[in-house]
Amino acid sequence: VNKENQMSDKIRRRGLLSSALVAAAGAGALPRVALPVEAPAPPVALARCDSYGAALVPTLRTMFDQIGGLGRLVNGKTVAIKVNLTGSPGSRLGYTPIGCTTWTHPALIGATVHLMGLAGAKRIRLLESPWMSAEPIEEHMSGSGWDPMAFANAARNVEFENTNYLGYGKKYVRLEVPNGGHLFSAYDLNHSYEDCDVFVSLAKMKEHSTAGITLSMKNCFGITPCTIYGDRAGEDEPSLLPRGGRYPIHSGYRQPSKSAPQEIDPNSPRDGGYRVPRCIADLVAARPIHLAVIDGIEASTGGEGVGRSTKHVKPGVLVAGLNAVGVDAVGTAVMGFDPMAERGAPPFEHGDNTLRLGEELGVGTRDLSRIEVIGPRISEVVFDFRKAGGVPRRARPPSHDRPSPPRG
Amino acid sequence: MSWRSTSPGKCILMAGEGVKMDILAEAADVPTHRLVPFRWPSNWTNPRLVELLEGGPINCVLFDRLQSANAVQTAVRKAGFSVREWETLGAAALSDVQWNSASPIIPISNLVWPRIKSAPRRAPDDVAAGPTRAAWIDSNCWVARLASVRAPGKQIWLDCKPPADEESPNANVYCAAIADAAASGARWIVSLHDGLGKGLAEGDPDSLGTWRSMRNMLAFFEQHRDWSNYEPSGSLGVLSSFSGENEFMGQEVLNLASRRNLMYRILDTSTVLRQSLTGLKGILHVDNDPPNAELTARLAAFARAGGLLILPRALASTFAGERPIPCPVPGYELRSFGSGTLATATQEWDDPYFLAAQVHSLVRRRNDPVLLFNARSLWEHYSVVPGGRALLQLVGFTGRPTRSVSVAAARASGSATMYTPDSGTPVVLQPVEVEGRTEYHLPSFSVYAALEFRS
Repeated sequence: VNKENQMSDKIRRRGLLSSALVAAAGAGALPRVALPVEAPAPPVALARCDSYGAALVPTLRTMFDQIGGLGRLVNGKTVAIKVNLTGSPGSRLGYTPIGCTTWTHPALIGATVHLMGLAGAKRIRLLESPWMSAEPIEEHMSGSGWDPMAFANAARNVEFENTNYLGYGKKYVRLEVPNGGHLFSAYDLNHSYEDCDVFVSLAKMKEHSTAGITLSMKNCFGITPCTIYGDRAGEDEPSLLPRGGRYPIHSGYRQPSKSAPQEIDPNSPRDGGYRVPRCIADLVAARPIHLAVIDGIEASTGGEGVGRSTKHVKPGVLVAGLNAVGVDAVGTAVMGFDPMAERGAPPFEHGDNTLRLGEELGVGTRDLSRIEVIGPRISEVVFDFRKAGGVPRRARPPSHDRPSPPRG
Repeated sequence: MSWRSTSPGKCILMAGEGVKMDILAEAADVPTHRLVPFRWPSNWTNPRLVELLEGGPINCVLFDRLQSANAVQTAVRKAGFSVREWETLGAAALSDVQWNSASPIIPISNLVWPRIKSAPRRAPDDVAAGPTRAAWIDSNCWVARLASVRAPGKQIWLDCKPPADEESPNANVYCAAIADAAASGARWIVSLHDGLGKGLAEGDPDSLGTWRSMRNMLAFFEQHRDWSNYEPSGSLGVLSSFSGENEFMGQEVLNLASRRNLMYRILDTSTVLRQSLTGLKGILHVDNDPPNAELTARLAAFARAGGLLILPRALASTFAGERPIPCPVPGYELRSFGSGTLATATQEWDDPYFLAAQVHSLVRRRNDPVLLFNARSLWEHYSVVPGGRALLQLVGFTGRPTRSVSVAAARASGSATMYTPDSGTPVVLQPVEVEGRTEYHLPSFSVYAALEFRS
């Protein structure tokens, strides 16, 4: 534990306690906590890891031990892991495999599943809601050249589910946002986000043109099913299959299916920079993250997609912890940004600070002075994304025009 | 690039950095399968314009009408070109083609102009996109492949013209039109936009540059004409009559399957009983019409032997499945059928885009013969010949050079050689190990590349 970031024992104990409460609430064992006086601040493990090779598993194991051990978290439990597989599996930044730029790397997914299996997880579900698609996650992975069987064989009872629609569930589940929510008071989601004891966000370290950063919190933007929240979603009821992307959340040009809770304030700004961060904060409050892991071994600058500022980089770090806001605050700092920055300052040039919005909902703290970082100092591993890449362009406003019937 | 004639009716093309080929001997006597057609612009009235064709791959000139005392036609004949009359060629829209006609040439008209479709009322550099934001490509390749199935052994000529109400396309767009047809074993009837025709007639340097590029592209495909003997290959057979009520869904599935790198073979209802099903993992029965008894027996045998038969909801009772199997693809019910599987839709198919995607998941991407990256604006053709050789052809429609395209072949190949019209010299690609599999990283190319895999 480095001394620079070491907090007092008092704060550390409080953080662990708060974390446990949040985790338990998420697991349904306890009622959700009311607005906390002080947002939880459990410790965050930070580690150097230069490659996805042999060092990955022992490094990850050590990090999990540093934050309390996996066994305590997953033994005998059903674990749901939201991985980040955004965008087309056939797209790459140059010749670089997508797991080295925008997707959570397959080796990290495999290592996490493996360690959870060893720690006694009863069932592990890998979840993602690929862009407007209902294809099985295994197929989505295969499209990038991955072998999903490698994950299935990494532990007992590994399952896959596309959560972009009803999936294997009978009905959508409604998760309420504690303390009211910013954009919606509750979200209707695939059953897997409730049918689990432990929820994990296994994210990539990258910039985002609207939200500024994509870390463990932003990863959860993709838990919203496009059958309800997407373009061409059903008006009254969810559509059977997703038929569009998440533009409605970005722009607010339409409401979700009427069967789901509608916006708290339909007159709020129709600006993605306002809406997307609030939606993310709502989601991580409604569906608490028990374990957040950020893959910063290899990553990309400049946001998803290909642009002048988009470059494949190797920060060589992993971040893990029990509180998503705290983990993302450390991750933000590792990327060379100030997690306390407000809109207008990097990396939040085009949107509000998701960390602050999460903090307002009582999810956790972004205040690094309150977070114990275990491992090297942040200053020792910081990797300045802006120096490595550049300022991402603002995302083009999403189109409200739907494409013609799809053809060629 | 330069052109030089060596003797009347025979020429050698020297293009780019080393494409050297004997194109044709005695053009007027060229066998039908070697004819390279050109639609003579009606406003080209100067006989000397035939010089634009001389020394190049074009050897067949189509005039609207043949006239005995026409100076242009006389000059064209005198220069050794085969001359045909458009009116009597019998070009027809796909739905009206007489497949059993005696003609060795099947000219098909009313086709789209191959390109990435422009988006109306948007920025000039914008493109139309499907729901995945993948560019929307108009291509005639599936038309050519369907025609080849319906009229095996005949020459398929595709008649499409640059839109008259738009600016004259640049060289790459013309070359894409040539490649779009040629990669499917067909030929585009070279047809000029009025702007290019006028520019060529006036000796405009830019127009002449475009023309040289087109000739180079045509010559490249004539040099590799043997590639048209390769048989399309893939894990899926698409079975339909592709006509009448089945025209839209059947044809669009072909169109959209190509876009998602789902390699297929066309099984036409009228010919499927003569076609081999060997090598197919699955067959998609697109039509709601029940197959006749003979075809039902053939499809049942395919499934019982281990194949996957994908059926519309309307045919749920045609095949009696056995044990239910969990289905990971929404909208389908899976049942075992002998050693194979029946996948029956639980809802009506109404959108070919989603049908193509669902079918891809049902037959599994892991059965794709090749995996491509950064190829969303490329059209892919995969074909094989006995002896372990496979050919992957890529056609680009953006008009810009490709960037960072990579290919992983499912089966081990001893070598991969890349051919492009950009360079006359084939390039032996070096295998690259990526995440435990062998990939090939393709150098940038402008419009077309072919990768030949040898085991």
